[in-house]
Amino acid sequence: MELLITLGVLVLLAFWIVSIYNQLVALKNRYENGFSQIEIQLKRRYDLIPNLVETAKGYMSHERETLESVIQARNQAMNGLQSAADDPSNPQAIKDLSSAEGLLGGALGRLNVVMESYPDLKANQNMMQLTEELTSTENKVAFARQGYNDQVTEYNTYRQSFPPVVFANLFKHGIDAELLEFADSEAIQAAPTVSFN
Amino acid sequence: MLTNLLVAFFLGSTSQPGIALSSIEISLMVLAIIGIAIGYKYLSLKGGGRVIAEMLGGTLITNDTNNPQHKQLINVVEEMAIAAGMAVPPVYLIREDSINAFAAGFSQQDAVIGINQGTLDLLNREELQGVVAHEFSHILNGDMNLNLRLIAILHGIVFIGMIGYGVLRGAMFQRKNGAAMLALGVGLIAIGFGGMFFGNLIKASVSRQREYLADASAVQFTRLQTGIANALKKIGAHSHQSHMLNKSAEQASHMFFGSVLPKFSSGLMATHPPLDMRIRAIDPSWDGAFAETKGQTRAKVKAAAATSKPKNNIQSSLVSGITEQVGQINEASLTKANQFVNQLEPNIKTSSHDVFEARALIYALLLSQNADLRQKQIAFLYEKAEKGVPEHLIRILSALDQVNRSEHLNLVLMATPTLKRLSKAQYRIFSANIGELIVSDGKVDLFEWVLHRVLTQALYGQFEKIKPPRGKVNNILKLEQEVAQLLSILGSYSHPNKQQCEHAYHSAARTLNIALPFKHSEHFDFRLLNNIMERLRELSPGAKAKLIEAADVCVRSDNSVSFEERVMLQGICATLDCPLPYGS
Repeated sequence: MELLITLGVLVLLAFWIVSIYNQLVALKNRYENGFSQIEIQLKRRYDLIPNLVETAKGYMSHERETLESVIQARNQAMNGLQSAADDPSNPQAIKDLSSAEGLLGGALGRLNVVMESYPDLKANQNMMQLTEELTSTENKVAFARQGYNDQVTEYNTYRQSFPPVVFANLFKHGIDAELLEFADSEAIQAAPTVSFN
Repeated sequence: MLTNLLVAFFLGSTSQPGIALSSIEISLMVLAIIGIAIGYKYLSLKGGGRVIAEMLGGTLITNDTNNPQHKQLINVVEEMAIAAGMAVPPVYLIREDSINAFAAGFSQQDAVIGINQGTLDLLNREELQGVVAHEFSHILNGDMNLNLRLIAILHGIVFIGMIGYGVLRGAMFQRKNGAAMLALGVGLIAIGFGGMFFGNLIKASVSRQREYLADASAVQFTRLQTGIANALKKIGAHSHQSHMLNKSAEQASHMFFGSVLPKFSSGLMATHPPLDMRIRAIDPSWDGAFAETKGQTRAKVKAAAATSKPKNNIQSSLVSGITEQVGQINEASLTKANQFVNQLEPNIKTSSHDVFEARALIYALLLSQNADLRQKQIAFLYEKAEKGVPEHLIRILSALDQVNRSEHLNLVLMATPTLKRLSKAQYRIFSANIGELIVSDGKVDLFEWVLHRVLTQALYGQFEKIKPPRGKVNNILKLEQEVAQLLSILGSYSHPNKQQCEHAYHSAARTLNIALPFKHSEHFDFRLLNNIMERLRELSPGAKAKLIEAADVCVRSDNSVSFEERVMLQGICATLDCPLPYGS
């Protein structure tokens, strides 16, 4: 009798452990899927920037440094994105992306400030369209980042809770996933749509 | 019960005192263990379609993808879902080169479709549509549920074999009862294998029948037997056919379009009918060659179409009874769906595919017609919704006005897989906002109710983990009260004249032998309707069919179908998981 009871208990235990493993895998998949969403939005943003810089060059020929730093920061961020996309579970890659994005945000912010002194540039049709698109992309980046972080948090919380924490290491889920933290860029402010005429 | 004997024998032959078990206790223990195994597998699959897709190594294809192959696939799936009147299922990509596809999930709400890379590479749009139609037929015919149960039950049987194996290994180390344990182990393995053998036989036979049905449905839906016939021919021509490398695929082998392993391709154990028989079932004039069909001329295609015998001749010409239409797609609805998607304002289309913008789209659909109220609602959104959402909403408002109100439901269907990508926290905010928008004008109108109902039903499955209804109530009169109330509400929309409404109600109530009197509903009470529908969801499929028939009678009693009547009928059908094809 005891044999069968122990057998039954062992069976239950085995199932329980397997379901913990499955849940860890599922949650990891979710946040990796969430990452690909950010990837799409960030790529859009990176694609808009060269266009922006080209348009600005026409008006701001003396501000070469500012423009160049934007391009450089953008290229670095693109590399960061590539390595993070290859393995979102690598905390270092995510941290690198976060800092690259931060630098890009800073460069864009400086550009924004400089652009204030060039009202012609701000009134340029092409520029207005670009800043409009950039702003909407910023919103989407923020949203996708929030979604990704939510899912990372869910994974981390589960992984740290009891009982999964006991097995997490064994199942190769030993480290927390990294949150993607960069200031939601105030980047390029879209010109206000209300005109004071 | 062989297991029982074996275990009893084992215990009897040991010389341990105090183990005097009655055979009943043994049976119970054995049943309990098998039960646990089955329950476990069932629960682990319960996460819904996407859990299964992930288990099979699928990656989600988001509908805002830029990849042309993926775009085409998404379009095909989207059209088909709109034609069927159901929410567009999320699509997963499996990185294997063979030609195959699957549908998984417990219900239409958590259904997903998976496609192999090989399928995308090798099939043209028509053939792809045939394969997708086949998968949709599985979803609409409830095959997925059946399949998942089969997997779970088989797992229980296989489990005995696994225990046997474990016991066997344990026996190696046991001195005292070694021989007996060995016997027990071997016995259990034998039972496990035997059970698995017979189980697989049954699973295979059931699966084969459903596959023929799905093929036939695919032809019926698309009205083209060339699509799916050519897909099957291409599988035949492919070196790997439809075989898959992923280990998990074997477990779910009967959920796939083509057979997954060579050893399961023919004979009694085959999960799918042999390729040549499947082709012949659709295209009797087939010449037996698996060659690529790219060279087929227009004339040949037409001739092939002419000689085929469609399963249901009446489908396209007459308006068949409504219950025959439920859960079906027909060529007309597919064409209409295709037109709808192609002519849709690009702004609206991209909004329905972008997870950020889709929320704005849904909010826009729920805005009041009353201008003042609209302003209030927009102000509310500025406060509560994420940055950029109200701005986008305003941007698409004029485009949205171009879309006919009766097509708004399609937009909800298109936005559903997009919204499923929200994180839980984001979903909660979205859900709260929607709730607020709907009750903000103090009254909920019928149209908003239907949109809300369809949307939440699709999303609840994933986010709220609500248990699906059991659907076991066979006798429709058990819910007489609710049915009468529903028909009364429906009747009230039939005509401005109350007498006519009563007439509509009675003509319907009579078909169900319901004697309760008509109660005219003065204004739309969505809470009441929600309660009614929750109860009615417990009806069995047969009873649901009767209910839908009655509703149809009510609507057609005065020979004119008003906008409200049609909308409400759609809502009722959607709530009962019995989608009506587009345009019916």
